[in-house]
Amino acid sequence: MADTTYAYAGRILRVDLTTGRIWSDPFPGADRRKWVGGAGLGAKILWEEVPPHADWDHPDNRLVMATGPLAGLPVWGTGGLTVVTRGAMTNGATNTQANGFFGANLKLCGYDAIVFQGQSPRWVYLHVTDERVELRDASFLLGKDSWETQQALEAELRLTGHRLSVYSIGPAGESLVRFAAIQGDYGHVASKNGCGAVMGKKRVKAVAIERGARGVAAAHPHALLAAAEEIAHNLKTDPSTKGLYMFGTLGGVRNLHGMGALPIRNYTTNVWPEGVDTKLWEAPNLREGFDHRGHQCSACGMHHCHMQVIRSGPYKGQVVDEPEYEGWAGAGWAIGATNPQEVAWLNTQLDRASLDVNEFGWLCGWVMECQQKGYLSEKDLGFRLEWGDVEGAGRLIGMICKREGMGNLLAEGVKRASEKVGGPAAECAIYTMNGTSPRGHDHRSRWEELLDTCTGSSGTKDTGPPTFPTEWGLPARISPQDPVPVARQVATLRGRKHFEDSLGACVFTTRVPMDILCRSVAAATGWDIGRDEAMRAGRRAAALLRAFNLRCGIGPELEKPSKRYASTPVDGPIAGVSILDHWETMLDTWYETAGYDRKTGRPTPETLRALELDDVIAPLWGAGARA
Amino acid sequence: MRVLKIIPERCTGCMRCELACSYEQTGTFQPSKAVIRVSSFEGHTSYAPYTCPQCAEAWCLTACPVEAIGISPAGAKEVADDICVGCKLCTIACPYGTVFYDPDSHKAFKCDLCGGKPACATVCPTQAILYVEAGTEDWLASFAAERALPAALAGAR
Repeated sequence: MADTTYAYAGRILRVDLTTGRIWSDPFPGADRRKWVGGAGLGAKILWEEVPPHADWDHPDNRLVMATGPLAGLPVWGTGGLTVVTRGAMTNGATNTQANGFFGANLKLCGYDAIVFQGQSPRWVYLHVTDERVELRDASFLLGKDSWETQQALEAELRLTGHRLSVYSIGPAGESLVRFAAIQGDYGHVASKNGCGAVMGKKRVKAVAIERGARGVAAAHPHALLAAAEEIAHNLKTDPSTKGLYMFGTLGGVRNLHGMGALPIRNYTTNVWPEGVDTKLWEAPNLREGFDHRGHQCSACGMHHCHMQVIRSGPYKGQVVDEPEYEGWAGAGWAIGATNPQEVAWLNTQLDRASLDVNEFGWLCGWVMECQQKGYLSEKDLGFRLEWGDVEGAGRLIGMICKREGMGNLLAEGVKRASEKVGGPAAECAIYTMNGTSPRGHDHRSRWEELLDTCTGSSGTKDTGPPTFPTEWGLPARISPQDPVPVARQVATLRGRKHFEDSLGACVFTTRVPMDILCRSVAAATGWDIGRDEAMRAGRRAAALLRAFNLRCGIGPELEKPSKRYASTPVDGPIAGVSILDHWETMLDTWYETAGYDRKTGRPTPETLRALELDDVIAPLWGAGARA
Repeated sequence: MRVLKIIPERCTGCMRCELACSYEQTGTFQPSKAVIRVSSFEGHTSYAPYTCPQCAEAWCLTACPVEAIGISPAGAKEVADDICVGCKLCTIACPYGTVFYDPDSHKAFKCDLCGGKPACATVCPTQAILYVEAGTEDWLASFAAERALPAALAGAR
């Protein structure tokens, strides 16, 4: 029978940067169903092609930029990019997403993924069209930030708007800053685990993908259009997503503050400082405080991504992308900055330099606290950096990107920098022992994500916030500090995010009941896929990324928060409550529920078999293990 | 008659109209075959879809040497594939650049209002594309005047 490629381009673009050879491999039907795309496909490639000796900066490392079956179709938010690689922060697996138009344009050119290997002898960018793919000289782009890079490529290729999708590294990636990100289409960032440093090491400045003339076919187009409307209706009306539909993640600031999860001044407090106009931080005011205009991803109807113009203050008139909650936190509250106009500016500086906003928040907040407490002197840094000094934070970005002065140390991220400085300074830094940087919340009141960030194998969270937990027999709501139910929830819902990350879709537009999401995938691909198969596919990717990490020597002994990350809050809603009293219990529950071995960290042979990962049993458990 | 009225201020550049349009045209999601196109302005800060306004004085129809362009029951100027010889005169005659030539089929193609239920208007998530009753057949003139007014005022300042 012919291998129909409904919902897929059916080809994987391969680029060997060492030799300059470019070719494409088929993405066969059986592989598509087993790995789906995105995170699943990336996990397979990482496991099969990156040996333990190939560290993040080794030419044998792979940089997988993949999309999935929903990209380029009319389901909301489906321009998705998933980056999978061995990353610079953990030196282990990475699974990180951005949206925009990457996935849609790539499939219209005829590819489901781009896989880079080797290392280019000179700086290049990859130009992808529906007729040819070329590595081109990128020397004219060097030193440019990621917005300037996109503008320069639009001028070079004479294309505007979404006719060209550009994902690039800024100066941070060029300097191999460990928390460098890949940024694309003005404001979409695959930020985790130093994927931008990997791209920089390979000397790839940018990927420029034209909106090709090919098409994407759906197996049942009418059913797909109906499923897309069903998803849209759900996002607009469900109480759990209505706020996202209206304002994206802007509501997070006040909501998380209410539960003690807004990270303020490097976890030193959980209450708004005196004199802050908290009205400004309500979602509608955050949006209306700027001149703004929708800037949506492929096929998306969420009122989420926006471009905006700063209305007042020192940066008046500048065009920025509306910060996500993560930006308001990392470029704002974590460093004590409380003026939205200034925070929006700093957030875009980070996007343009292409740094992970979360790690920057922890790093900059740490420097500020250490200076305040006298652990770092003005001389160490070269200037005085006080809480909330946005201009100074901007100066810090420049130093990090150029690795100038203390910027050279800070470019290694807060874990390595604080360990190097040592003494009491080391105890103020927020990180996990495996090198993952937490997202921009105070996880001391969100135990699910603290556990998830420490046990994850992606260089970030693995499960993410609970989405419709009742579908999996869990209670609709649990206390965020109830150790056993929290651990059970994180482990039970594990897999859903990896499935979503395999679809080429956005994390926010896939926040619908799993059956509805699966209906769209079924209509697109023609598979009779239901939620159990979908969850199995996600858990397969999660288990394989963990197997990859174990093979690289990253084991359960590193699944711990830093001292500050798991410290006891001194004020706010959960003052005096410590997760550490329950840590071992939570790990016990998590491991048992996930079907992983508590001592070695390995997925058990039974778990691997159930996930059709039989060929992973021997490499993990030894040749004698019962396959 | 009903016409496609576009409110560019509402467009967010999601390109969903292109996807839906191309599906109506070809059966696959292939924006290169869409007869509605979204352009960006001022970098990525604003977008606007544009398509055939079905103008009263249709130059495409007048220019066609083989009379392949007629008026459909929905009021759309429509290309009859079996008559079109692919001479491209209509694409040159159109002042809006909304008649296209398909190198695969060697035919001209353009918006046919999807037979009276335009897919672009149906799927637009921000109601930037409306399918509305127009007062007169020459609705475009009043539309243009209405849009031009602020610009004229700006010029007078």
